[in-house]
Amino acid sequence: MRQVKVAEPARRLEPAGSSAAPLVRVENLVKHFGAGLGTSVKAVDGVSFDIREGETLGLVGESGCGKSTLGRLITQLIPATSGSVSFDDVELTKLRGEKLRQQRRQLQMIFQDPFGSLDPRMTVGDIIAEPLDNYGIVRGRARTTRIQELLRVVGLNPYFNNRYPHEFSGGQRQRIGIARALALNPKLIVCDEPISALDVSIQAQVINLLEDLQREFELTYLFIAHDLSVVRHISDRVMVMYLGKIVEIADGADIYESPKHPYTKALLSAIPVPDPKIQQNRRLVELSGEIPSPINPPSGCRFHTRCPIARVPGICVDSEPPLEVKEPDHVAACHFSDEVALVTAPAE
Amino acid sequence: MAAPILSVRDLHTQFFTDDGVVQAVDGVSFDLFPGETLGIVGESGCGKSMTALSIMRLVPEPGRITKGVVRFRDQDLLKKTPEEMREIRGRDIAMIFQDPQSSLNPVLQTGYQVEEAMLVHDKVPKERAPQRTIDLLKQVRIPAAERRVKDFPHQMSGGMRQRAMIAMGLSNTPSLLIADEPTTALDVTVQAQILELLADLNREIDTSIVMITHNLGVVAGLCTRVIVMYAGRIVEEGPVERIFDNPQHPYTWALLRSIPRIDASRHDRLKSIEGLPPDLIKPPHGCRFHPRCPFRVERCFTDDPVLEDVGPEQRAACWVTMKRAYAEMGARDLVDVSPGAASGVHAAGKGG
Repeated sequence: MRQVKVAEPARRLEPAGSSAAPLVRVENLVKHFGAGLGTSVKAVDGVSFDIREGETLGLVGESGCGKSTLGRLITQLIPATSGSVSFDDVELTKLRGEKLRQQRRQLQMIFQDPFGSLDPRMTVGDIIAEPLDNYGIVRGRARTTRIQELLRVVGLNPYFNNRYPHEFSGGQRQRIGIARALALNPKLIVCDEPISALDVSIQAQVINLLEDLQREFELTYLFIAHDLSVVRHISDRVMVMYLGKIVEIADGADIYESPKHPYTKALLSAIPVPDPKIQQNRRLVELSGEIPSPINPPSGCRFHTRCPIARVPGICVDSEPPLEVKEPDHVAACHFSDEVALVTAPAE
Repeated sequence: MAAPILSVRDLHTQFFTDDGVVQAVDGVSFDLFPGETLGIVGESGCGKSMTALSIMRLVPEPGRITKGVVRFRDQDLLKKTPEEMREIRGRDIAMIFQDPQSSLNPVLQTGYQVEEAMLVHDKVPKERAPQRTIDLLKQVRIPAAERRVKDFPHQMSGGMRQRAMIAMGLSNTPSLLIADEPTTALDVTVQAQILELLADLNREIDTSIVMITHNLGVVAGLCTRVIVMYAGRIVEEGPVERIFDNPQHPYTWALLRSIPRIDASRHDRLKSIEGLPPDLIKPPHGCRFHPRCPFRVERCFTDDPVLEDVGPEQRAACWVTMKRAYAEMGARDLVDVSPGAASGVHAAGKGG
């Protein structure tokens, strides 16, 4: 088997001049799921990044890239295989039992499916108050008051607390899920595809609500989605994943205007723009082949099997590109990031 | 212009549920011309998929087509017997669905399923069918098609399966292909490839395409003409450039403003449409969009607007239209699209 050079571990990617302290610091985080016969799915395979206090970090990638697994690792819903997640300087991966439970108050999650994520047999009030009940925070009248306050905050009628989830539309259910996530006054909310299941005209309502809540309660978001347009809109910085690895992190505008990884470029070129004049003249950066299996990912750069500028055979096959600073506050993992600007679709 | 290949007139499809009659498609009329790509856009429950299923005569229980004409090349499809319809489906009109996983039989080889679609309609002699299947898979750009014909659906990716579905749809060179959200379940890079494929096929073999989607970006790239549906009705139709540049129905206008764009130059708050789509058992009186419309006037509460010419080949069903909304109601400055924001009618309690 060919010897493959692995990226240097845990290189700090603190860009010069970033003032906000990181709320979450992820280092060399790995999650492998056993897939039988000694093989494993390398869902998240050594990622390091920070989430800064008060920001929205967008996380994009195609299905199977590991973005949802990463969200679950950060909230400690699943244990990591190795690596570290520190939250407010507390190492979460080492915590167990009551200590972890207390930390979890700070970390909440909003899920994609507004139907599957609410118990149909519980009233909306009980759903929203479940986190409060878990920690024994309020009781009796104060509990009802808090439920009604939360309902009002997410734009629902406060007297709906005795209704059941089936009485609500998808957008309203997503608001209930958001109210539940807010109940414990968390610092970080991981939003895992929170609007993908909603109708177009409802998506904007929920995005605006999330932005309003962030301002009001000084929340930090990790916003996971496959829709790069939505991610770009809501995020301060955008992180792109491919096959269990981070390939690029940058400011939303930078990543759109000057992507430093060919995968990001291809992803951007594929997003349909609702403007026929632009859309009919755009050229797709076509990726050859299909996403390889995360059980046996390609050597070197994992994108080399589909990359329009990869050197095959060559450095892209032999050595894994480290995630390194390409421009201020812009990191990417590509040996030839200077050439990405020149990547265009083949002329017809 | 040539005669339309498909002509739908006053189509009504209703669902008879325990809670009442759902008016899923409520008086839809449109034409499709040979070689055209027509987009039907709208949100879930607006009737776009039911319109397609009505054309195919595949409306599920407890739904029924209660009224209307679906004229396909001089034949009224609603008057056909089930046997005659079965002949037309797949041969003259093909349909591809959102979920390629559940549209393919998991225990049959993909190639066999494509072949079967041909043999059912006796379009190709049996001995030539295997070769034509391979050719079709090549045409929809499935790599190593000779090998892939033997694959079972689970051995293919989502994009591959959708290509196989398209190959099946094209196997009898239909004159009309109806695609119902064909890329919604796929990743963006795969979506882009499928859309390019559909555009190429439309050019190469001159198949007319009806593209049903909620994604306005998909319509912008593929379609030449667009129909916008809301609550079971067509609210606007026209050439794609007109609909995107100069929408005349407030719903089209509001929808276009509410979606975040990847090419937006700065971060503005999204201009959301307040409220929810109506219940189609008891739709609102008058214009069905009036409870959510920022430009409604008194008449919108009582009178049903009909589609009227509002520009070159463009028609909208609105008593006000955006032309007047721009001129008299300050539409350009409207930040959030809240009900009655401009007219003041019935906006009491909103605090002006």
